[in-house]
Amino acid sequence: MKSEQLKSQEYKYGFTTDIENIKAPKGLSEETIRFISKIKKEPKWMLDWRLKAYKRLKVLKEPKWQKPKYPKINYQDLYYYSAPKSMKDKPKSLDDVDPKLIETYNKLGIPLNEQKKLSGVAVDAVFDSVSVATTFKGELDKKGIIFCPISEAIQKHPDLVKKYLGSVIPISDHYFATLNSAVFTDGSFVYIPPNTRCPMELSTYFRINASETGQFERTLIIADKGSYVSYLEGCTAPMRDENQLHAANVELVALDDAEIKYSTVQNWYPGDKNGVGGIYNFVTKRGACRGRNSKISWTQVETGSAITWKYPSCILQGDNSVGEFYSIAITNNHQKADTGTKMIHLGKNTKSKIISKGISAGQADNTYRGLVDIGAKAKNSRNYTQCDSLLMGNKCGAHTVPYIRNKNGSSTVEHEATTSKINEDQLFYCNQRGLNQEEAISLIVNGFCKEVLQQLPMEFAVEAQKLVSISLEGSVG
Amino acid sequence: MEQLFNIDLKRIPSSDEKEAADRKKNFELFLKGGLPNKKDENWKFSDLNLIISKNFKNVTNNDEYKFDEKIKLINDFEHNKIILVNGLFKSSDFQFEERGKIKIESLRSLKSFDNELKNNLGYLNKALSIGGFNLEVQKDYKCNKPIIIYNYFTANLNNKIINNSNKIKVGQNSELTLIEYNICGKSKFITNTYEKIDIDKGAVLKNINLQKTKSNGYFYKNISGKQDYNSSYQNFILSSGLKFNKIEIDMNLEKEKSSCYFLSGLNLSKDEHQEIKTQINHLAPNCKSYQKIKNVLESDSKGVYQGKIFVKDIAQKTDAYQLSKALILNDQAEFNAKPELEIYADDVKCSHGSTSGSIDEEAIHYLMTRGIELKTAKKLLIKGFLNEIFDNIPEEEIRTFLEKSIAIQIDEIR
Repeated sequence: MKSEQLKSQEYKYGFTTDIENIKAPKGLSEETIRFISKIKKEPKWMLDWRLKAYKRLKVLKEPKWQKPKYPKINYQDLYYYSAPKSMKDKPKSLDDVDPKLIETYNKLGIPLNEQKKLSGVAVDAVFDSVSVATTFKGELDKKGIIFCPISEAIQKHPDLVKKYLGSVIPISDHYFATLNSAVFTDGSFVYIPPNTRCPMELSTYFRINASETGQFERTLIIADKGSYVSYLEGCTAPMRDENQLHAANVELVALDDAEIKYSTVQNWYPGDKNGVGGIYNFVTKRGACRGRNSKISWTQVETGSAITWKYPSCILQGDNSVGEFYSIAITNNHQKADTGTKMIHLGKNTKSKIISKGISAGQADNTYRGLVDIGAKAKNSRNYTQCDSLLMGNKCGAHTVPYIRNKNGSSTVEHEATTSKINEDQLFYCNQRGLNQEEAISLIVNGFCKEVLQQLPMEFAVEAQKLVSISLEGSVG
Repeated sequence: MEQLFNIDLKRIPSSDEKEAADRKKNFELFLKGGLPNKKDENWKFSDLNLIISKNFKNVTNNDEYKFDEKIKLINDFEHNKIILVNGLFKSSDFQFEERGKIKIESLRSLKSFDNELKNNLGYLNKALSIGGFNLEVQKDYKCNKPIIIYNYFTANLNNKIINNSNKIKVGQNSELTLIEYNICGKSKFITNTYEKIDIDKGAVLKNINLQKTKSNGYFYKNISGKQDYNSSYQNFILSSGLKFNKIEIDMNLEKEKSSCYFLSGLNLSKDEHQEIKTQINHLAPNCKSYQKIKNVLESDSKGVYQGKIFVKDIAQKTDAYQLSKALILNDQAEFNAKPELEIYADDVKCSHGSTSGSIDEEAIHYLMTRGIELKTAKKLLIKGFLNEIFDNIPEEEIRTFLEKSIAIQIDEIR
């Protein structure tokens, strides 16, 4: 494998649409927060909540411990709110939506109209920071499922939002989470009533569009007793030269016997071959298994972003609760990923499983960082962790930084990790059977990732498999 | 920090004024930073500051080395001797070796010891170090018998701190087995030791750390070393019984085909804290490293393993392995691990594993159905768990001796 020959696949989804934006005043200030709150027509308690977060933010410092270093972000030079103009009067149906917006989705290969019929996915598409259209509302309404933009939930379901918002990621958690609490613009809100199985995969497509706009999404999913929901999140972003910050917060709450499955495919702009531009993806995702026998499962395929830095975590509070984390992180060229999970066992008989696959090519750095913490009261708990890394070339790096704490004698923690390159014998075998080098690599890498890919819902599985191959195209000489 | 340490720098002998000034400067640096705590990544799982300030008051520097008792020597196998009293070199006896092949001298001056400073304990050591020994095996000499370092601590060390620094060099194609054997009384004291190891081409150094009895000592030891072409370093850490013990090892595999082994079998009981931190830097191709850490944790003991394997981009064909296993026998006991890999070369075989949990119930059941009572069955399994470490010691006499000393510890488990 010759690293000099590494070349990258041009970013397929690099285009921007010209839509006039309403922007908040530039910079981070109380004024900006009041502006966002006002334009969202938020009640006072929400504004107070934001201001409380902002007050806390002023005391907090940006974390420095992570491996990927980035140039200092000038928070006063960002716009914290921008919305497509046509959003002023909310569209009732797709026909009311700006045609240019629809065109953007079509280029991305997610035609809303078609998707409605074909895949049965209700799409709550977020363009920049405001939800545009929500489909399949009727069917969900029948079951009593709430799936709407969080700004709408704040107005229509204040009790639920008040009760759960910030209950998993507290206001004063860490710098980026607190920043999000202060300035979040929109996101999804899902509530599944007791003993309800959500009949379809809920999905949101994010796009970052306006230049110099950090996107601050806030997602809150609550699965009430005995319910089940599978949520899909997919991302692509237009090609840009400046770095864009994305600091989203995702909170999941699973009550007794409930299950939440959260899948992500992330393919934001990774910057060009020389490491110029790209998205900073600093996301806080955390789920609380609050009830007995509850389950939260995170699946992620991370192929984009200049810097990915996120640790979807599970707090296993309820007895017999289960946390799962399946991850593929692919880094090429100058991309950097520092990702992993935290499994915090508090209840009895809690179980967690971590499968992480890291693939590093070009001059990229790929780190798995995880914590497994078994509390003194978490009797008979179990954890199994497996993190495997593949390296392509000797200019990239693969790192594993697991933290393991076991304070309970009846609990078992198992961790294993390997780092290697693609097996020459396997390559040779594939070549012999007429596959060229690239096809062979793609086949082997897909096999390497299979354990994680098969966890994805059907809608994502095909896309993700393609993405895995595309991300590594040309990385072998 | 000033309240905890009551140290009169004037009482520490310095060779010249510059050294005295250096000591003062280092001590100020230490006071500024204090003892390491959890904010320091290398101390992620233990707050030394808290541990020391909880257990000590008014710590003073030890300056007594008087010793007139007789040390009870090990009779199990023939060996050469080095005797240290409170960290200071006292005497040596290399009766089984050719004259002039092994050299030892007392290190008094700081000049000869330039340890790298990794944390504030380094500053403390530089400020207060009373020296130690410099051991050197000449080239092309394979030692006939192992050397035992009797590391003796006198009885009057309450609230004292001992800082010392040693150097060990094994010349080209030489071989040495070094057994460090701690003997300490009931007094409560702190030691802060820095050691430098240099293993030349084709040389082999075997290092065994052993603690004889239960002790109230709080030990910190920092070993940093470098290895030349085709050299081998093996370190066995068997020092159970201390109140606090942290061994920090930094090994640089600088030339091809060098190899490095860390093996540890620890049996921790009430109020004991053991920590092993390793960093192995693979800086050249074709090197090998192997780590196996086994802990048995009873009562409210705490075991920590922080291991890091670093592989430089040119270090192709690296073979690195890390395994930590813990048996937790009590809910109050705790085991923390951070097995870390940082890899920049692609043609490597690096893996790590870590497990912690209780004794296999099925194995206990099996033994009990064969008429072995619970207590004996447990001890049998623990013995089996720890004894695996000794498979890597080919010298039968030493192995039997080590197995015997572990057996005594296991018998004490209630």
